[in-house]
Amino acid sequence: MKKIVVPSLLLALALPAAAETPQQMLAGYAAEAGHGFAPSPERGRQFFIEKRSAAEKMPSCATCHTEDPAAVGKHVITGKSIEALAPVAGSARFTDAAKTEKWFRRNCKEVVGRECTPAEKADLLRFLMTKAGI
Amino acid sequence: MEKIRVWDAPTRLGHWLLVGAFAAAWLTSESETWKDVHVAAGALMFAVVLFRLLWGFIGTLHARFASFAFTPAAALRYVGSLLRRQPEHFTGHNPAGSYAIFLLLGLTLVTAVSGWAAYNEFGGHLSEEFHEGAATAMLAIVAVHVGGVIVGGLLHRENLALAMLTGRKLGERPEAIGSARPGWAILLAAWACGAVWLSAYL
Repeated sequence: MKKIVVPSLLLALALPAAAETPQQMLAGYAAEAGHGFAPSPERGRQFFIEKRSAAEKMPSCATCHTEDPAAVGKHVITGKSIEALAPVAGSARFTDAAKTEKWFRRNCKEVVGRECTPAEKADLLRFLMTKAGI
Repeated sequence: MEKIRVWDAPTRLGHWLLVGAFAAAWLTSESETWKDVHVAAGALMFAVVLFRLLWGFIGTLHARFASFAFTPAAALRYVGSLLRRQPEHFTGHNPAGSYAIFLLLGLTLVTAVSGWAAYNEFGGHLSEEFHEGAATAMLAIVAVHVGGVIVGGLLHRENLALAMLTGRKLGERPEAIGSARPGWAILLAAWACGAVWLSAYL
């Protein structure tokens, strides 16, 4: 038993370092959203620009990431530039599932006022990939 | 033993500035709306710790690092004395508490520098992970530190948190510090304000 458990634990520890792709992440969220769910870039765009009332100073994703997520964004509070959200060539966006989940959790809670659903994540990622030309 | 002046003013002010800023940093840690406050809290802590490093050499007796540089064996002996409910008395920092201080000072520097790197998108994932790991380690040590203050305070029958506020603590008269150095506390306050102001340009 130990011969199996120890290597699998080591493998589990090593997994987060393994690079994922936006395609794999999209497939994962779509599968989580339910059988037959088809991610829509248009629904993703609507979600991205929709103005909400959870955070007064940052009503939508586009407030900081701008209406064009393939371009560099600007933090509305600090004025810091934000690396393009869309997984454009050479970008590290959506290559680490744990990091993606962490930022979905943080930013959805703050801007949407709740955690995002797998369907919303799939739609948004489909939209971002379209913007990146994938 | 009698109540004597042990903690000077800059040590006390610095301690409570760190407490306030650490709490503020945790409360704003998940927020983008409060990011400027989070960054200001980090800059404040960094500035206070830089001052504390200097004060550890030029401050009053019990604030000097040399006065609380204990061996690990001394720290274990002190914890043992707490467990036996016969705590060894130290007028300044006790050996276990002194380890918490050195760790918290070091981790503050690591947390602040990695936070600054993450804020400026240097070092990719690594600076973010480092920042969170160091902050979590700090929180754990703060918990041990507060626990030690409560347990030690009960066993010594002395309100140690109040002593960090008033500067007065049980000890022998020759161990008392002369002046509380209020002028240095004003200097620290100005330095800390400067750091908060500069944090908007990080």
